[in-house]
Amino acid sequence: MNVDTSLVTKSTHYLSGADRISVPCRIPTEGNRDNVLLARLRQGDEGAFAELVTRHHSALIRMAMGHVANREVAEEVVQDTWIAVIEGLERFEGRSSLRTWIFGILIHKAKDRGVREKRHVTFSSFEAVSDEGDEVIDPSRFHQTGEWAGHWALPPQPWDDQTPEKLLASQQAVNAMNRAIESLPQTLREVLTLRDIEGVEAKEVCEILKITETNLYVRLHRARERVRQTVETYMAGGSSAV
Amino acid sequence: MAKEEVKEVAPDITCQEVAQWASAYLEEHVGDERKHQITVHLAICAGCETYMKQIAIVRDTVGLLPKWDEQPSDAHRLRQAFVAWVHRSPSGK
Ligand SMILES: [Zn+2]
Repeated sequence: MNVDTSLVTKSTHYLSGADRISVPCRIPTEGNRDNVLLARLRQGDEGAFAELVTRHHSALIRMAMGHVANREVAEEVVQDTWIAVIEGLERFEGRSSLRTWIFGILIHKAKDRGVREKRHVTFSSFEAVSDEGDEVIDPSRFHQTGEWAGHWALPPQPWDDQTPEKLLASQQAVNAMNRAIESLPQTLREVLTLRDIEGVEAKEVCEILKITETNLYVRLHRARERVRQTVETYMAGGSSAV
Repeated sequence: MAKEEVKEVAPDITCQEVAQWASAYLEEHVGDERKHQITVHLAICAGCETYMKQIAIVRDTVGLLPKWDEQPSDAHRLRQAFVAWVHRSPSGK
């Protein structure tokens, strides 16, 4: 879980901040906490169930929304998922984490519902983003020929002392990022939601989505790059003079 | 054969490649050789260093975005379903 080590050694003012911030937000023990919950659930502890629902509900909605037409349908799918979780608790064998199991049920139900409701839309949005191809980042930002081929032609401008905290303090930036995430294609949004928003471990994300780790990082990077572009645009607009 | 091996050792990595590998690098999902190449490149390339930092900022900020603090619209029904399940099933493990 020492994700930041390579960057920490390069230590800048941002990175020390990131180091401090990323500890609580990544929730590395989420899976374990779920397993503690599982024991309580099986004893019929209502509070444990409420806690489980609170913990995962919004992420489940977010995931469901990539597959179905609207918010109302997503709510229904998630509701059905919770019912299925209750009914399946007895049979759950703990081969995966409780969370992986719950998200697996959700994805199955959401896909099923999506296929029934808007078959072609779902499938085309699935096919739309390939994991192949090199153009994660706009190729025009790099020199295409000559001695400097492959090097930055338009390097990113430093965001001065921007930190997650400062970005989050701007409602405009928060809205822009949320919009960027919402407009991601489903395959990119689901990896970003699970890995970066929910802090699910990479291996578990792969298990939930049934993809390879290489695919995960390709998609994750595509998703992050799109959000980065949004922030870049926001920064350029914010500093008015160019 | 030996020639090929020599060729494989530390060919230059371009900015475009570094940028492409940024997330895999941050998550320690690159091989030792590539990791070394990227680390060396980052030390001498301001553009890539900036890019890498921005991806890390995005990663961390996204994780801290205010969550929709919400409950199921039909939380009551879920609770009832849970209680019903408890009563149906032989309690305890
Ligand atoms: Zn570079």
